Amino acid sequence: MSDKPVAVLALFPSAQALMDAVPKVREKNLGTLQAYTPYPVHGLDKALGLKPSPLGIMVFAMGALGATLALLFEWWTSASDYPVRIGGKAFFSWQAFVPVMFEVTVLFAAFTAGLGMITLMNRLPWFGHPVLHTNAIKAITRDGFALAVEAVKGELDVEAATAALEEAGGAEVEVVFPCTEKIPPGPTLQVFKILAVAAGCAVAGITMYFAIKLFPVLPPMADMEEQVKAIPYESSACFEDGMAMRPPVDGTVARGMLPMGPVTEEASGSVLVNPLAATTEVLAEGRERYEALCIACHGPLGNGKMSLSKEYKATPANFHGATVKAYADGRLYYAISKGKNAMAAYAVDLTPEERWAVVHYIRALQRSQDAPEEDLP
Amino acid sequence: MADNEALRDLLPPPLVEGDVTPGLLDDQVLETPEQKPPKAWFLAFFVTSGMFLIGAALIGYTFATGVGVWGNNSPVFWGFPIVNFVFWVGIGHAGTLISAILFLFRKRWRNAIARFAEAMTLFALMCAAIFPLIHVGRPWFAFWLFPYPNERALWVNFRSPLLWDVFAVNTYFAVSALFWFLGMVPDLASMRERTKSKFRKLLYTIGSLGWRGSANDWKHFEMAYLLLAGLATGLVLSVHSVVSFDFAVSLVPGWHMTIFPPYFVTGAIFAGFAMVVLVLVPVRKIMGFSHLITDHHLDVMNKVILAMACLMGYSYFMEGYTAWYSQNPYIHHIFTKYVTGTYGWAGILTLTCNVLIPQLLWFPKLRKSIPVMIFVALSVTVGMWFERFVIFLVSLHQDFLPSSWGLYIPTSVDVGILLGSFGLFFTLVLLFARMLPVISTTEVKMDLKGAQPHHGEEAHE
Amino acid sequence: MSDRRSFPAALAVPALLGLAGMAATAFHFGAARFFANWIVWFLFLLTIGLGCLFIVALEHTVRSHWSVPIRRIPERMSGLAVWVAPLALVALFSLPVLYPWTQPEAAHDAMVAGKLGWLNIPFFSARTAVSLVLWGFCYALLCLGSMKQDASKDPAFTVKARKWAPLVLVIFGFTLTNAAFDWISSLEPLWYSDIFGVYVFAGTFLAGIAGTALGVAYLVKRGRLPGVTFDHVYNLGGFLFAFIVFWSYIAFAQYMLQWYANMPEEVFWYQKRIEGFWLVFVWVMAALHFVIPFLFLVSRRVKGSIRLLAPMAGLILAAHFLDLFWMVFPVLGEGVLPSWPEISFALFFVPAGLLWARRAMERGEDMPVGDPLLEKALAFKL
Repeated sequence: MSDKPVAVLALFPSAQALMDAVPKVREKNLGTLQAYTPYPVHGLDKALGLKPSPLGIMVFAMGALGATLALLFEWWTSASDYPVRIGGKAFFSWQAFVPVMFEVTVLFAAFTAGLGMITLMNRLPWFGHPVLHTNAIKAITRDGFALAVEAVKGELDVEAATAALEEAGGAEVEVVFPCTEKIPPGPTLQVFKILAVAAGCAVAGITMYFAIKLFPVLPPMADMEEQVKAIPYESSACFEDGMAMRPPVDGTVARGMLPMGPVTEEASGSVLVNPLAATTEVLAEGRERYEALCIACHGPLGNGKMSLSKEYKATPANFHGATVKAYADGRLYYAISKGKNAMAAYAVDLTPEERWAVVHYIRALQRSQDAPEEDLP
Repeated sequence: MADNEALRDLLPPPLVEGDVTPGLLDDQVLETPEQKPPKAWFLAFFVTSGMFLIGAALIGYTFATGVGVWGNNSPVFWGFPIVNFVFWVGIGHAGTLISAILFLFRKRWRNAIARFAEAMTLFALMCAAIFPLIHVGRPWFAFWLFPYPNERALWVNFRSPLLWDVFAVNTYFAVSALFWFLGMVPDLASMRERTKSKFRKLLYTIGSLGWRGSANDWKHFEMAYLLLAGLATGLVLSVHSVVSFDFAVSLVPGWHMTIFPPYFVTGAIFAGFAMVVLVLVPVRKIMGFSHLITDHHLDVMNKVILAMACLMGYSYFMEGYTAWYSQNPYIHHIFTKYVTGTYGWAGILTLTCNVLIPQLLWFPKLRKSIPVMIFVALSVTVGMWFERFVIFLVSLHQDFLPSSWGLYIPTSVDVGILLGSFGLFFTLVLLFARMLPVISTTEVKMDLKGAQPHHGEEAHE
Repeated sequence: MSDRRSFPAALAVPALLGLAGMAATAFHFGAARFFANWIVWFLFLLTIGLGCLFIVALEHTVRSHWSVPIRRIPERMSGLAVWVAPLALVALFSLPVLYPWTQPEAAHDAMVAGKLGWLNIPFFSARTAVSLVLWGFCYALLCLGSMKQDASKDPAFTVKARKWAPLVLVIFGFTLTNAAFDWISSLEPLWYSDIFGVYVFAGTFLAGIAGTALGVAYLVKRGRLPGVTFDHVYNLGGFLFAFIVFWSYIAFAQYMLQWYANMPEEVFWYQKRIEGFWLVFVWVMAALHFVIPFLFLVSRRVKGSIRLLAPMAGLILAAHFLDLFWMVFPVLGEGVLPSWPEISFALFFVPAGLLWARRAMERGEDMPVGDPLLEKALAFKL
């Protein structure tokens, strides 16, 4: 322990006794007065001449800051950085932003009040205050009221202070000596505390990062990634060929690919009936499909003469010949669907509706080269 | 003299019974953490932690297997977890009301119960927080709820009340914890000086942050306490209102009722006070604090429960009235479903438990009877759980399109997890009761006889 | 300080001018404009009276003793809840003019027709009459009884008041909600909001506290409330502070919920009230009802000093008037904006109200001297 005393304190049995003693000791002007009590005593601040706490203003300012920051952040994320239209609401929906703004305000304000009080105003935690190492501290935290005369600039008249305190009714007068730690806590200690907190945050952050990255890939969290069900292109031990994908069952018919049924070429003309009427839309569709698929061999006029005829050494049907003209719609449909001689089966390229439309177009082509007189305008 | 007698009758009874000095108070309250708990405590702890472990195991089972083990299904996509969440958050509000709002009103009777009530708030919030966490499909991604810069270039949706919830409940927990801890610092200082165990002395030294009770310290402390009380008051109103927004902003009939914010806050205070009564009645008896947590305390808390029951009755009446007044067939249908049909029993139970049974508290004799008190408090707890059940789940099961209607059938896993949450709550309460000062000796000392200068008599109310 | 005799005289001139303007409004603009203003002033005075009645009942219920020294002021001002009866009678004549459900077309609209069992002139009038009777009963029980206690000094009244005050609270809750739905909400019968009763309550309670604060200021200035200290006034200021926050919370909750769901059958009510002129009006009202009082009342000094509190109370009372005005006036139609008719109503009702208040302030003693708790209450410290 160091030599120079920092304070002289005395205990009083009640708050009233303390309050009575304060003015008596204060008028003697022996040093700064400080009181230690187990609970706040009304009127003590005034009696000791303490200034009111600035926490109120600090809290108000930080609360206002919190509100502003929250609103700005909400505006920036929702209306500026990545605006997403949600529920038809405006990007800057201030009405929806109020609750978070309020909560952040309270958060900032509350932490300023709490932590500000502890760290800034009371300079805690600090375990080296001299009073903590006196005999009186036991009574102070229980039911004793202490009044201390503190040294000013290291100078303290111990005898005079002792006399003043005893005169005012104090008992168990004690001289207080400094402790190993500096009074008040020096800047190095504060810096060390801040660094410790920062280091703690960094460790926590790094741990969290790895936990967040690592944890989700462990089972059972990763169960959704590797599910029991089989997906296409996976292997499967259930089947001989080892594939999860199965071909469709024999006889499966794709939509729109309904088979024609047991129709022979000869009977097709009478069995298959054109369900479509020859409207402008149907003819337009028929023309479009004809010009995509049929024109290469059958030619634009449907006479079987086309540029490919020479190279291909085939003779596509001439629709204007008497044979083809005598065909019923169904016969033409049959030929398109099943193919004929060198012609492939076009059932895979044309839906039944499209085929019937093409048939209508062929009829139009036929009529175009052999129009009766009534057709002329 | 007749006058003095009349005056005595009109004034509330003293806050503390018998001759209690600050030293005696310390000896009674602060000695508990130093002593070994009695056998009964261990038995209770065994039971509650057993309940908790069952719940925890079932949660593990849910994680491993999937949310399908619960009753959630179409159309009731939100099941027990949301009911439990709102239930527990609600219970937390009483603690803050007692420690913050009653402080602002200078109601001194709150001093003896504030510490315990505030601790219950924290424990209730811990129980509540479990449910949003587990009811999402992938809880390990829960951190996505926070707006941090990420490689998905996405921000959270600030227009969603579910996100407002995240901010509100987290803020509430943080501020409550801060308020509770700071209030305890002077008490921990007392314990630091009393304890004979070296290990505990170290713990209390760190916990009390080196508190020494100087007038300067108290000056800032009182200011911070007042400010925190004011801020926590704002939180009491806002947090459960934000929770109510989860439902009220939607279009679901029965959910989109503008009265939800104050109605939920009232319900929260209601349920919370019932839980405080339920816990404090055995605690004060077992720990021998009946002279500190007096019959008057219980009487006033019961009056608060009664007042809240009347406000709940008003809210139910307004909802029913609006269901008719709006002439909206969907709202009308849902309200009839609250009291008739498959779940009609739940609605009737809610009304009985929340409005009818608490009316017993009008009668002073019944209000002062411990069995009646416990019965009413239990009934309120059950009633408030079922109220959330009725509002959330019954509204979902038959909303607009009849082809979507369907029943909600909870599973044993649902019930087991709810049981587990009660287990967690009471385990924490038991631990708190043995390890920390359950009564704020500092605050009670402030109002004892002769505690303050120039005020010879004890403080009242 | 103005001479007591010249005070009424000074007010007589604007009052008469106002009266003339009111008559002119009826002739020039028609009954609808006249009655819209009448309804607003009727409700304004009623809510001040009801707010004060609520304060008295609440104080008895929660056994607050800091408020005993100033309780006589709200007791006197609760008289407004009874004295508005003639205003209510005239207001009943507005029903066929302003309220759509009185019109024959209402029977054709299915949504309105369903409510006609409740919303019809005879039943509405009966409800109004019953409410007035109930308010008179509560006023007599709590306020007149307290004034009688001045002479008798019998603590039996305090016991009785404490016993029956909760019933007064229940009556208040339902009658105020009913009045809010009847007089304000049914102006647009298609709209509904079940928080509306709470919203009007918030404004009403504020009106009561503000009125009380102004009454306290009036008496303190004349030295008629000795013993009322910083501590008493601080609590009053604290209530004012807390409840402007409460009002804002309720107002915001109702608005935000209806904005968020955006249902046409609800939002039309707000759309009408936030377009053009009314948008400016709303921002002014928000500033007067919340922002400005909040910034001042956050200070401990302002809360405890009646000199600083009174202007805030006046501001809040004015804001409450604006709130009622904003809810009622837009039903007149889109292009109808406030102008000289509104000023003339104010010219009449403000002096009339002040005159009534001045007379009310002479009823009974300035403090409830018969209350056994008065002495202890005067010694109250925070």
